[in-house]
Amino acid sequence: MPMKGRFPIRRTLQYLSQGDVIFKSSVKVMTVNYNTAGERSEGARKFVFFNIPQIQYKNPWVQIMLFRNMTPSPFLRFYLDNGEQVLVDVEDKTNKEITEHIKKILGKSKETLEKEEKERKKLSHPATFGPKKYHLRECMCEIEGQVPCPAFVPLPKEMRGKYKAAMKNEA
Amino acid sequence: MSVPRGAVHAKWIVGKVIGTKMQKTAKVRVTRLVLDPYLLKFFNKRKTYFAHDPLQQCVVGDIVLLKALPERRSKHVKHELAEIVFKVGNVIDPITGKPCAGTRFLENLSDSENLTEADTTFLSEKLQELKVCSTDK
Repeated sequence: MPMKGRFPIRRTLQYLSQGDVIFKSSVKVMTVNYNTAGERSEGARKFVFFNIPQIQYKNPWVQIMLFRNMTPSPFLRFYLDNGEQVLVDVEDKTNKEITEHIKKILGKSKETLEKEEKERKKLSHPATFGPKKYHLRECMCEIEGQVPCPAFVPLPKEMRGKYKAAMKNEA
Repeated sequence: MSVPRGAVHAKWIVGKVIGTKMQKTAKVRVTRLVLDPYLLKFFNKRKTYFAHDPLQQCVVGDIVLLKALPERRSKHVKHELAEIVFKVGNVIDPITGKPCAGTRFLENLSDSENLTEADTTFLSEKLQELKVCSTDK
């Protein structure tokens, strides 16, 4: 049974997480003005249809507003935290060009993203074990080289409490 | 704990004015795209904010940019009007700077009326040069 809609792949988590435009923390609002008809606004329309979900998924705290048929020329406008406004003319541009352009001007660079990734990795130690939410493994029995879980492999006689107690009583 | 600016999370927001019946205050509706967890589609979720508008220059239907105030002005008013982005009935296209309505400009874009005689003759000469004659071999 196929998914409903025109391009239902836009509604998959895999597609949404493939968005590579992550805005800098100073970008607060993004406004897209485009037209529903006309060849010059074609790239903007495709951008809104395909790329806006990816951008909003990756930047949940940026307010995105869409305005249709307000002005003859399509454009994007970004409102930054310091009061600055960035106007991007997208007339006669394909949606790929638009995403590349905004990634270049207002997106976090690869180095920044890698640095942030490293910082996040530092917080959790992969060797510890505990609740699944915070650690990779839950019990010590899951770690290679440790005693396996007695639910699957019975413990040797010497480790069992029953045997140890019997030995103690005997001695 | 110091909160340098904004007693509220949203520092800058863009919204549409829906009411101006209060004195020096505008009721602004702000829409954000929120992902539906099952459909995985973004829908507009609206929220109303009250903004301080000292000159009462907002009309219902304007698109405005609001800025968060450093501290709350009253129980509900936490933002002030920073700029009217698009005035209703008087939209200015930011790329060209000309007034427009919908997808057409309101005034004539070409500046042929402002050209002087010398300019028109110069331009027509340039056009003659550009003309490609098919009779040439």
